[in-house]
Amino acid sequence: MKPLLKVDNLRIELTTRDGVAPVIDDLSLQLNAGETLSFVGESGCGKSMTALALMGLLPEGVGRVASGQILFDGEDLTQASDARMREIRGNEISMIFQEPMTSLNPVYTIGEQIAEVLRRHQNLSRQAAWNKAIELLDAVRIPNPGARVSDYPHQMSGGQRQRVMIAIALACEPKILIADEPTTALDVTVQAQIFDLLRDLGRELGTATILITHDMGAVADMAERMIVMYAGRKAEAGPVEQIIEHPRHPYTKGLISCVPHLMATLTEERPELTEVPGIVPSLRDFGRDQCLFASRCDRADDKCKTSRPPEIEFENEQSSACWQAEQLR
Amino acid sequence: MKEKTAKPLLKVENLTVRFPVKRGGLFSKKSYLYAVDDISFEIARGETLAIVGESGSGKSTAALAVARLVKAHSGSVLLGDDDFLSLQDEALRQARAQVQFIFQDPYASLNPRLRAEAVVREPLDSLGTGDPSERQASIDALFKAVGLRPEQQRLFPHQFSGGQRQRIGVARALATRPELIICDEPVSALDVAVQAQILNLLRKLQKDFDLTYLFISHDLGVVQHMCDSVAVMYMGKIVEHADRLSLFNNPLHPYTKALLSAVPSVDKKRRQETKRILIPGDPPDPLSPPNGCRFANRCPAAQEQCSQSQPPLRQIAAGHTVACHLVSDNGIAPI
Repeated sequence: MKPLLKVDNLRIELTTRDGVAPVIDDLSLQLNAGETLSFVGESGCGKSMTALALMGLLPEGVGRVASGQILFDGEDLTQASDARMREIRGNEISMIFQEPMTSLNPVYTIGEQIAEVLRRHQNLSRQAAWNKAIELLDAVRIPNPGARVSDYPHQMSGGQRQRVMIAIALACEPKILIADEPTTALDVTVQAQIFDLLRDLGRELGTATILITHDMGAVADMAERMIVMYAGRKAEAGPVEQIIEHPRHPYTKGLISCVPHLMATLTEERPELTEVPGIVPSLRDFGRDQCLFASRCDRADDKCKTSRPPEIEFENEQSSACWQAEQLR
Repeated sequence: MKEKTAKPLLKVENLTVRFPVKRGGLFSKKSYLYAVDDISFEIARGETLAIVGESGSGKSTAALAVARLVKAHSGSVLLGDDDFLSLQDEALRQARAQVQFIFQDPYASLNPRLRAEAVVREPLDSLGTGDPSERQASIDALFKAVGLRPEQQRLFPHQFSGGQRQRIGVARALATRPELIICDEPVSALDVAVQAQILNLLRKLQKDFDLTYLFISHDLGVVQHMCDSVAVMYMGKIVEHADRLSLFNNPLHPYTKALLSAVPSVDKKRRQETKRILIPGDPPDPLSPPNGCRFANRCPAAQEQCSQSQPPLRQIAAGHTVACHLVSDNGIAPI
């Protein structure tokens, strides 16, 4: 089967005061129709930047695609015109942002904001788009949609606003939905509801989802495959359950074990959390010919500090960019 | 768990915090929002009590009230024999040195114009603890204790990463050698890998300095790791209060169950065993809370009596109390 989205050797450069830095460095990935793929990593690892590149929303004048391809249904988005990108954005690829508080326009009713997408992309009449907006509010399980459709964003709770964002994103039944930390600002019970909703709607519409998060629990709950990003590079990729059981990259291992997870049965025992010392390197250090994780890794040796590890693929579809991936179990 | 025969370090009784709310016209009646409504708990020396709940549950307000950073409407906060809420002047100053606070956002809680050492020195100077000539030595020791290098004392907050700033916040809280430290979401603004560093540090300091923590968090994974006992709050009330193992392995209140079931987990076994308990809708308007159980309108097990009278906190087992009509006396949960 041909993948819906295929990214080949993507390199994105940001121009900063210190010069040009590769925020995304040689990233390749595939996404199949209907599948959920997760990007995991700390902030500053390039997860959101990848999403913005897919949407053609890189910060203008600062970020640019330096090389590589983004093939969506066979079409290279890095070469697409602005007009073509506007057609695709919100229609075939759409995005939910992290902050439901700030990503809606406060001076328009939510009905107008949902209808706008439909009128722009599907040429619906004002009335038809309004009616469809009510249907969509119902689909994202907002009670009493006929009345709520004329509400302004400030009249809704955080969870409801994120539902409205989902309604806008799914209005045109896109092929890909990018959810950038859709629940970090929300309570756990609301998060669970939003995840249920994304899962159900994704299944109904056959939408492929890219879920960006730092929460391994959410990944385990939602995604089939994941890509662990570190400092703009792919650290590890593969099926979620396998990676959680046998991470092949020390960073993945650290990300999983540094968080105190709720387990099936809690015991008296409370081992120290595994620390990943230090922090993500600054943009200045991106792109060096070494393993960028080496400074935080307890297994690092001279080789790690002098040459960039290649991506090693394993039989079980897992791949890891670590010199010691074979020994790591 | 330690024997609880000794007197608790902190004993909070019937604490209520309310905020006046203007609603309607100029001459309309003043109404109040009860952010914390008649809660009681105690913490033994050297232990950690966690208060969990979702946004708007009143957990942070309760913490602020205990530290006298918001005014309590009624109730008492007993630190040893003294009621912290009624202390004045010099006695208050001395008591303040015993109760310190670690804030959620390390980007907002450090004065950007003070050097790191001055941030840590400030409580020493203003609360007058320790000999002035020895203050520099104790600042050096504090920096070492929280894992910062001595030369970093001269830097300003913006020159530190988020995790390091939180370390400065911890050092500041430790400066006056307090007995009780209130941690209000101390790691939720930090990156996951950095959270572990701060949580490990807090646990180590607790052992080294025999500290007592009141730990506020919405992250049940973190709470599970840090606490000795847990109080679950919903709309200003404590709905369940138990020691760590009972609460996580045998939750009784439907809200606690729903909260726990909503946490995604990497543990495959837990994912298979946990049945998601859905609680649709939003909490009721806090300005006019319902007469009955505040959770009744979202509770999957609710019955008629639940919307008629408020369930009191009842003791079900030793150290396990719950406020639900439907939990039987021998500890059988309704769902």
